[in-house]
Amino acid sequence: MGDATKRLLQRLIRRTRIQMLKTTLEKWDRLTLAQRQSMVFIQSKSAITEKLLSICEVLMLLVLLWFHCLLDVMDNPNQGMWYAFRLMDPEDDAHSVELMQFKEQFKSLLHELVRHVSVKIKKHADEAIWIRIAWGDGFSQPNHLKPTYVVHYLQTPFVFVTSITSKQKPLLSQALTVSTRHQDLKNANLSGRKLTAIRDLLMQQYPQVFPTNFPGHTAENNQMESNPRRVKEQAGLEADRLRMAHKAFGDGMLPELESAVYELETKFNGHANGTMTDREQPFRCVVKFTSTNLLESLRQCASSGIVSTVTPLFSSIPRSGKNYFVITNKSHGSSSKTSNITEPQILDSKD
Amino acid sequence: MSLLQPFNKLPSLNTANILLVENEEQFQQSLADALVEESSVIVNVRLAKSLPVPTENETSRPRIDLVVFIINLTSELSFESAEASLKYLDCGYFLGKVCFLVTNARSVSVPAERLDAVRKLAALFHCPLLFVEDQTADGVASAAERLLTILKVAAGHVPITTSLYMSILAQCTVPPDIDQPSFD
Repeated sequence: MGDATKRLLQRLIRRTRIQMLKTTLEKWDRLTLAQRQSMVFIQSKSAITEKLLSICEVLMLLVLLWFHCLLDVMDNPNQGMWYAFRLMDPEDDAHSVELMQFKEQFKSLLHELVRHVSVKIKKHADEAIWIRIAWGDGFSQPNHLKPTYVVHYLQTPFVFVTSITSKQKPLLSQALTVSTRHQDLKNANLSGRKLTAIRDLLMQQYPQVFPTNFPGHTAENNQMESNPRRVKEQAGLEADRLRMAHKAFGDGMLPELESAVYELETKFNGHANGTMTDREQPFRCVVKFTSTNLLESLRQCASSGIVSTVTPLFSSIPRSGKNYFVITNKSHGSSSKTSNITEPQILDSKD
Repeated sequence: MSLLQPFNKLPSLNTANILLVENEEQFQQSLADALVEESSVIVNVRLAKSLPVPTENETSRPRIDLVVFIINLTSELSFESAEASLKYLDCGYFLGKVCFLVTNARSVSVPAERLDAVRKLAALFHCPLLFVEDQTADGVASAAERLLTILKVAAGHVPITTSLYMSILAQCTVPPDIDQPSFD
């Protein structure tokens, strides 16, 4: 046990940056001042490991390092793929779950479900709860090199998870649903690399657009400021396009979503290809849009006239907070035999 | 469907009016700023994405002396939009009051057929074809200077010369072997 933990400690220290090690040791108050000053960080990492081991016990060090991994990820939330989930069907006392109660229940539930598991919970400055879970099974110790991170905002139904396998997901979902007093954990069809972006999109924490009957006069003000000798001929059309883009996406900063995936299961509709159109089965294909800031680029497409209208396919991304859609044909009652064109509709995707 | 007419309004004193038509609406902004700076003549610049121009501006619009189509060679849509807008000009404009401006001709991604197509279009309508560079301030300034030379002739500010005379000298011509494959 001692050797394995020592090796684990060495791997963890090798992975972390020296600056992070320094700051974490400073924040951790188990080392005395003299011990801290005797740590010299210019040496190689194996020398640092030896020095640290000589100062304190291995187990205490491991606790420290897991905690610091959590802090590291909290400070850099934009690595790895994050998946969003939604808690469904709250019970009556779901709104009064508070932090200590949630912590104790979650930890005890997870320890009941999995024999060897290591759970660390920390509350972030902006009311988010960060949970780091290292999974083991009935026979092996928890694997700390592949932990799962979970971010949950208490009293909201939103959960964000990274690095979880399909075997671990039902365990996590059971622990979460019971400790937050909901019935079910459902996939929210939103994923991305930047936690801040998908959190802002799902929880709608960006400047929203509200429908108004009397829109403001911003376009006319801009016209008056510019040179009277250069005049735009089609200023009215341009103002219309800008208004349409703002109606769909709003005025201010948009969350930096990176991709949107549309899975099509609609009938083939092109006019050129006769054999494909005659087939009854839907034509399956997947369309993926990627960009450094997808919503901003869609808004620019609409306002510069590259797209003539903002289709509901695009405007449903900010409206419903998803970026994975399945599109099928809406089936009409009686007229489906005669008409070849049916309207596509957006379904919730499969869980 | 209203055509833009060249001579149905009266000119104003010491003024020249130019209409810049560009599908992307990018280069026309900086070009307009450079054109307005000219001091010897009052230059009024009208900007449009494509023709036809809206009829609401009919009363406030002055007589347009020169119509410039800005084509970005890297985009097929730009060329098609310019070609489609040509229908909305009265034929009086094609006697020297239309000019084609082409940007990004040196770009690697431009297929040779598109440049040939633009040249054929300009030659068909007997219009001058100018190649300009739009990314640097120097390029914009020199493009504005060349346009001003043509604009002054089209507005009648240069004595003894009219735009019809100048179009014979400045029009684009295609070499007879333009349809042969080239060596690069």
